[in-house]
Amino acid sequence: MNILVCIKQVPDDSVEVSMGKDGKPEIDGITPVVNAFDTYALEMATRLKESLNDGSEITALCVGPESAKNSLKNCLAVGADHAYLVNDESIDDIDSIGIAEVLKNAVEKLAEEKGKFDLIFTGKEATDAALGQTGIYLAAKLGTAVITNIIDVKVEDGSIEAKHETEEGYRVIEAAMPAVLTVTKPEYDPRYPTIKNKMAARRKQIDEMNISELSALDEITAKIKKAAEYEPPKRSAGIKIKEESDEESALKAIQMMVEAKVL
Amino acid sequence: MRKEDTTNNILVYVETVDGAPVKAGLEALTPAHILSEKNGGEVIAAVLGKDISEAAKRIAASGADRVITVDSEELAVYNLDAYADILRQIIEKEKVDAVLLGGTVDGKDLAPKLAAVLETAAVSDVADIKIEGEKTFFVTTEYSGAIYCDVSIDDVRPQIATIRSGAFKKPEGASDGKLENESLKVSDDVVKAKVKDTVKEITEAVNLEDAEIIVSGGRGMGSKENFGLVEQLAKILGGEVGATRPAIEEGWIAKNHQVGQSGKIVSPKLYIAAGISGATQHLSGITGSDYIVAINKDEDAPIFSVANVGIVGDAMKVLPVMIDEIKKIREG
Ligand SMILES: Cc1cc2nc3c(=O)[nH]c(=O)nc-3n(C[C@H](O)[C@H](O)[C@H](O)COP(=O)(O)OP(=O)(O)OC[C@H]3O[C@@H](n4cnc5c(N)ncnc54)[C@H](O)[C@@H]3O)c2cc1C
Ligand SMILES: Nc1ncnc2c1ncn2[C@@H]1O[C@H](COP(=O)(O)O)[C@@H](O)[C@H]1O
Repeated sequence: MNILVCIKQVPDDSVEVSMGKDGKPEIDGITPVVNAFDTYALEMATRLKESLNDGSEITALCVGPESAKNSLKNCLAVGADHAYLVNDESIDDIDSIGIAEVLKNAVEKLAEEKGKFDLIFTGKEATDAALGQTGIYLAAKLGTAVITNIIDVKVEDGSIEAKHETEEGYRVIEAAMPAVLTVTKPEYDPRYPTIKNKMAARRKQIDEMNISELSALDEITAKIKKAAEYEPPKRSAGIKIKEESDEESALKAIQMMVEAKVL
Repeated sequence: MRKEDTTNNILVYVETVDGAPVKAGLEALTPAHILSEKNGGEVIAAVLGKDISEAAKRIAASGADRVITVDSEELAVYNLDAYADILRQIIEKEKVDAVLLGGTVDGKDLAPKLAAVLETAAVSDVADIKIEGEKTFFVTTEYSGAIYCDVSIDDVRPQIATIRSGAFKKPEGASDGKLENESLKVSDDVVKAKVKDTVKEITEAVNLEDAEIIVSGGRGMGSKENFGLVEQLAKILGGEVGATRPAIEEGWIAKNHQVGQSGKIVSPKLYIAAGISGATQHLSGITGSDYIVAINKDEDAPIFSVANVGIVGDAMKVLPVMIDEIKKIREG
């Protein structure tokens, strides 16, 4: 099978972002990483490839800056066989519909070279601006089925069956291929690369496409306009209790809670 | 649709579960009124499913001017493609200016699906709405809730938005909305993915959004047995049990107890966090709490930066004392 995984590069989500002096979120100093949900998607795709064991291949595709090549290399070290970057540095006003349009055009272009994709994985959402939209837009643009928030996938006789997570459990959803799958956190964590795979990934080539060759600018200009970004009002820290013993600390805390009338 | 082709009406999709409207759907009626009052339009609710007349009546009585019900066998089981197709038909007929959906799992899928078929745009996870003159701004968040962002949809209609659960209160007071039945059919060839089975793993309902008291435990609780202390304290306080993602992944408690960015956004009067470090993904779900008490053995844990009272100590020692003392207070 021919599998595509869409990867977004985002600032490390364990670092708290604050506003910069220029009125934009200050993210320059934060390590760029592969969006967490995309690492889950890649892991799920890799497990599928391994279980099929039929020469299936995974391509990772990212619309992002030149520096995202590093993120793509990390993908090559944990399951992806090929990686493509669509350089978007010439464009700043783009939203998820625009990204989906670029992804669609890239998918069609790659299909000419390497055959059609049977399955396209995306993350459920990005951790920088958690929209949760791109996979659904991409499926609509490609005219394929979409199964969202999946935690597991199986392939049987040309169709797929996936578990879509709900509040109380899951739905089993079936679709014909090709299809788009958006992945949420499964029970397992993504694997770490072995040193050998890491070295091999360093040597692999990352092919580049240019965004303006793929899509006309007016088709991808954002329909959603950002007017202002700011930090929400912060809660201020209260009192820290550290008595001689934990028992005493607990009693003091109870006393304060009683005084604050929260008990 | 272009702006000049729409009415001033606002459509709210109100999801139902087992024949009852979900809270997030009813809450979305409130921002719908904010938008409709701006230009004097109506709030129209759409209810889809099978045997939903009771739900429709309840919605008509809780703040919708009109309720459009599509009650049919083919909508008995929720299907993204089918539901989006029916909503598209309603939207194209009513030519509404905006479509609001509660930010449930399904609402979050329907919004972009509708935006795609209607060639418009959707804003995710709206925490507030600001009206400034002619312009409407949706307030949404970025970077795990660390940054707020005001956005607008200027050129295309309808504007679509999912409303963060708990961001608005359900409309107060009774209303007398008009009930209308529509017999709409799902179009041919739109259903590309079929729901074969629905599995409920969790039968116990948890209402974290409405809870006045929540006691949550994190990885620092160490084991399922120790996590029992969190449950005991919650029980004595008459509150709900919350958890961080790691505590759920360890299997100490079911996933519908998750609090945070990919769990529930909560706003209780009292939130007690035990063995929780305070990662942004967790904090963004709890900062609406009135009073936060944190127990952590690490003096520098980020949770202390939002806690009214921070206990630096071992949760396994602190919680039993709290349980005993609060028992005494409650009994005496
Ligand atoms: C895309 C994404 C979405 C996420 N969504 C969520 C979400 O919705 N909700 C969520 O909670 N997390 C979420 N996370 C995970 C989040 O980033 C953190 O990893 C998580 O919140 C940490 O949980 P924790 O505080 O239980 O564990 P840890 O960070 O491991 O903290 C454990 C704490 O316990 C303390 N401790 C240890 N022993 C004791 C003791 N005996 N007594 C007292 N304290 C003790 C330690 O000092 C430490 O501070 C998400 C992550 C990602 C990437
Ligand atoms: N710039 C991008 N390049 C490649 N994939 C992307 C990009 N942006 C979003 N995606 C994919 O779409 C998913 C959902 O993103 P979003 O709709 O922005 O929350 C991500 O998890 C990625 O799989």
